[in-house]
Amino acid sequence: MNKVILASGTALMLTAMAALSPAMAQDKTLTISVYALSQDEYKEIVYDPFQEICGCKLVVETGNSVERLAKMEANKANPVIDMAVVSMADALSAARAGLIDKIDTAKLENFNKLYDIAKDPNGDGMSIGYTFYATSIAYRSDKMKIESWADLLKPEYASHIAWPNVTTNQGPPALYMLGQALGKDTPDLAAAIEAVGDKKDEIVTFYEKSSQLVQLMKQEEIWAAPIGRFTWAPFTKLGLPVEWATPKEGQTGGMNVMIMPKGGKNADLALQFMDFWLSTEVQTKLAEKFIDSPANKDVKVSEEVANNLTYGEETAKSLKLIPSAVALDNRAGWIKSWNEKVGQ
Amino acid sequence: MFQNRAEALALALPAAIFAAAVFLVPVVILLSDGFRNPTGGWSVSAYIEFFSNPLNQAVFLRTLKLGALVTVTAAVIGYAAAFAIVNLEPGMKGKVTGLVVLPLMISPVARTYAWIVILGRTGIVNEAFQALGLTQAPLRILFSETAIFIGLLQLFLPLMIISLISALENMPKDAVPAARVLGANWLQVFWKVILPLTKEGLVIGGTLVFTGCLTAYITPAILGGSKVLMLETLLYQQVSVSNNFVAASVIAFILIAMSFAANILLKRVATARNKQRRAAA
Repeated sequence: MNKVILASGTALMLTAMAALSPAMAQDKTLTISVYALSQDEYKEIVYDPFQEICGCKLVVETGNSVERLAKMEANKANPVIDMAVVSMADALSAARAGLIDKIDTAKLENFNKLYDIAKDPNGDGMSIGYTFYATSIAYRSDKMKIESWADLLKPEYASHIAWPNVTTNQGPPALYMLGQALGKDTPDLAAAIEAVGDKKDEIVTFYEKSSQLVQLMKQEEIWAAPIGRFTWAPFTKLGLPVEWATPKEGQTGGMNVMIMPKGGKNADLALQFMDFWLSTEVQTKLAEKFIDSPANKDVKVSEEVANNLTYGEETAKSLKLIPSAVALDNRAGWIKSWNEKVGQ
Repeated sequence: MFQNRAEALALALPAAIFAAAVFLVPVVILLSDGFRNPTGGWSVSAYIEFFSNPLNQAVFLRTLKLGALVTVTAAVIGYAAAFAIVNLEPGMKGKVTGLVVLPLMISPVARTYAWIVILGRTGIVNEAFQALGLTQAPLRILFSETAIFIGLLQLFLPLMIISLISALENMPKDAVPAARVLGANWLQVFWKVILPLTKEGLVIGGTLVFTGCLTAYITPAILGGSKVLMLETLLYQQVSVSNNFVAASVIAFILIAMSFAANILLKRVATARNKQRRAAA
């Protein structure tokens, strides 16, 4: 008797499961790995709307890029995440380690709306830029005139500037541009590091946190510093004549990119998600909240928003980014020669 | 107190296990990295490499120098302040001690940032110097060893004062008057009476201040930056930027060794004076 009950119960359960299975097929999970910044806004603008569209569940893992890359390496044989966002150089590092795959851009409707600079930043088809930033010089226009990156080291200016430490994100790009200004543009940045080293006693500080610069500018400790555009807004509110330089060598900067792990289980869903993130609507919303500068050239924003971001085709075209391979291969060497010439 | 040693050991065991598991073992693992060579064997090559680099030598000597300078200065100011405080009337003593402790309750970040304003080119120090005609152009104090020295001294002076206050309070009340009556001048009173009787406090305060200087990260990072590296800022650079855990482990070991050395040295100095006195007696 008991057996009969058990059998009929099992049969009932199986029927119920069969009836539910079409719904369960839709109940997919997409796991993404992103920077920990601005997650509330991302949830509102990107994650929640996407979950509505795909009828899937989004799992968000956050952390700094070192941690997240280490995790990808550890799970190489059986990837946990379906897509990740990292810096250009980290994307190349992951590509070299065999962790990521080519991205099938034919499946991305919004791919052709991207600025050229964002379409394939590392030239290996394995990453797509979703946001970028310019690095140039914020300076006191009443005290100095900046037409070239080399102007910062002029004798009359050098004792009034802060230079980004080589260990910061802005350090290598600023040295890269100084090298161009000096006409000695080598991957080891030797000439630029030497030039900064010659002025190390004059230069006010080699900053590590850009947040410190606003205060130094306010109390006139410094007149100028190379900064990323994403830290520009507070300088405009100081009530001082601070301007954003457009040196003749151009501006530099950095870009964040999307990547997909090799052997990811939900590639199509990941592509759908990336396409959504790159869409004009989502990129516009992210720009309006000052979260990310748009990589989608169809995005139109107000002047106020544009002033706080790195915006527009001209800007995008003018950015001279350090090639990822150069950054990866030389990073240790830069720090070594910096410590020898500047650090002591 | 205990029936047998086993009981005492049993009571100490949980704390000992806890300390071993969360402190000793991780520290040993961390430090052992510095004694590994790339092939997995044991060696001191990482230390030889570290000390053969001129930058590291400079940073090591600077850290030692600033730590010692801050400790000695804190001791000098600390004795004066503590002596003044213990001689206050009881109500006042509590209030003034409270004021000494107060800065310890404020975040070192806020305190250090305040120095940026004070020591800046347009800050109060430079304005005063210029008003007094001591200097024509504003001095560059920020991002120098001087700035770090001032920052560290302000950060750790309270620890020295508190240690010395409790040491002075434990001193027999009539020791100083007795010495004075017997004809000792103030220098002799300090050297022969106060210092030997408060050496414990000096050793504790000195160790706290010196160790503090070796472990403070925020102050050297903000007031010195990468322009004036100390061992602690170099350690951070090695871990978070260069990803060089071996060098970081070497620096960690050096910092721990310096703390222990300072403690032993200070104790030595104190006991050496004791022996002298006993020998003289």
